[in-house]
Amino acid sequence: MTLSKRRLGILSAQIIFCVVFLLLWQYVSVNKIIDPIFIGRPSKILHYLYDSIFVSGTLFSDAGWTLSATAISFLLGSVAGIVFGLIFSVWPLAEEFCDPFFTAFNALPRIALAPLFILWFGLGTGSKVALGFSLTFFIVLSNTVAGARSADPDWLILVRMLGATRAQTFFKVTLISAVPTIFSGLRLGLIYSLLGVVGSEIIASQNGLGQKLSYLAGTFNTDGVFGVLFFLSILGVALTWAMGLLEKYLLRWR
Amino acid sequence: MLHESAVGGVAPSVNDGAICMEHVSHLFPGGTRALDDVSIRVGSGEFTSIVGPSGCGKTTALNLIAGLVTGQSGRISVAGRPPKAGRHDVAYMLARDSLFPWRTAMGNVMLSGEFRGVSRGDQESIAREFLGKVGLAGFENSYPKALSHGMRQRVALARTFSMKSSILLMDEPFGALDAQTKMQLEDVLLKLYSSEQRSVLFITHDLNEAVTLSDRVIVMSARPGRILADIPIDLPRPRSVRALQKDPHYHEIYAEVWSWLEQALLGNEVI
Repeated sequence: MTLSKRRLGILSAQIIFCVVFLLLWQYVSVNKIIDPIFIGRPSKILHYLYDSIFVSGTLFSDAGWTLSATAISFLLGSVAGIVFGLIFSVWPLAEEFCDPFFTAFNALPRIALAPLFILWFGLGTGSKVALGFSLTFFIVLSNTVAGARSADPDWLILVRMLGATRAQTFFKVTLISAVPTIFSGLRLGLIYSLLGVVGSEIIASQNGLGQKLSYLAGTFNTDGVFGVLFFLSILGVALTWAMGLLEKYLLRWR
Repeated sequence: MLHESAVGGVAPSVNDGAICMEHVSHLFPGGTRALDDVSIRVGSGEFTSIVGPSGCGKTTALNLIAGLVTGQSGRISVAGRPPKAGRHDVAYMLARDSLFPWRTAMGNVMLSGEFRGVSRGDQESIAREFLGKVGLAGFENSYPKALSHGMRQRVALARTFSMKSSILLMDEPFGALDAQTKMQLEDVLLKLYSSEQRSVLFITHDLNEAVTLSDRVIVMSARPGRILADIPIDLPRPRSVRALQKDPHYHEIYAEVWSWLEQALLGNEVI
């Protein structure tokens, strides 16, 4: 793969920016222009990351808890969202009935439910999954409904004239034409699963990156906090990237 | 119900021809009169066009015959039976190609066979045959996004003809194309029609197109649609779009149809 000149220029500018930024940060911190208790120190953050990844490995075990909870809540939330969305598109009466309840629930700031979930499901994976699910479900649901409605009316006339049954129309037209919209819901839903899980961990949990974050902040280990934040952001990027690859493969006709 | 066994075959009743519409009137749900006492007959193997000002109800007439719209007064028979959407002896083509973007050209043509119980092997060979006939050999595995407007409508033509339905209903199939592409596709249609012998009812607002393609041109008035004229087009077949442009008789017929259409348009102005 060859990089174009323009791309190469941007990339090197970005790298230079990062290096300068980190050096400046280091300088400000070492000379205590801003107290390191607030901003940490890049060299120490790097040391923390190295230590907790390669020496003690604690970051990985916490990441494992967070990721597994994210995966479960994403899977449950998106499957439920797609199923309900499709039921709504085939059976509008169901949507009319559920709409006010779903709207009310969706309007609720979901993080406010965390104490209740912790009460119900304890400090383990259950409460994190519940919160992640409650976010992902509605995002995927609304995208599925929108996608199923986006089928071109001409397509529906065409298959009707071809003599398609209702089931054929659903599987060969409605469902497939909804896939691109469902996917943009899934991409967003994945990030919200992570948000719900980490949020729930911060509030109260036995393990996970969120719990680690809140512990480090509580003990004024600012370097550790920044380390975990970097790690989380890389995790988020990796998840979105993997999702993008899958989407590109499944929607190669676009 | 007398001719239940004639699915996919030629019109069983000589008098009714392929399509017969007798004294049909139709009101839109709002109460606007769309069609007023319209009678149309399309003989077996005949190519008939309907022209008229926009909003004259020509598409409504087609949709009544297709069985997409119901609730008329009068009598309609399609191959001797009442109209019904999804009949295997009727094929329908729209102005837009309405190809599925997630299917290749082949997949789109095979679609018709899938819903009509054709075996997978037959679907493939039929699709390949008709893609060749519309000049798209070599594009079997292209997705619609990679095809031009005209090529996509060629795929739609292949899909329509691959159904082997004896009756074709076409609603301005070339209405969205530019002039040159349109002429090319008219030639493709002329070729397909002469090799396949189907009964065609063709809706258009383009007089050139109607005269070029048809055995008969029916002129409808502005709403409520009535039949103003039914003009036989006695140009010999096989025809070609370019040769016809140089044929004086073609221009005579064109002038005649145009004078009728002018009357229809004037009627529109009075309203």
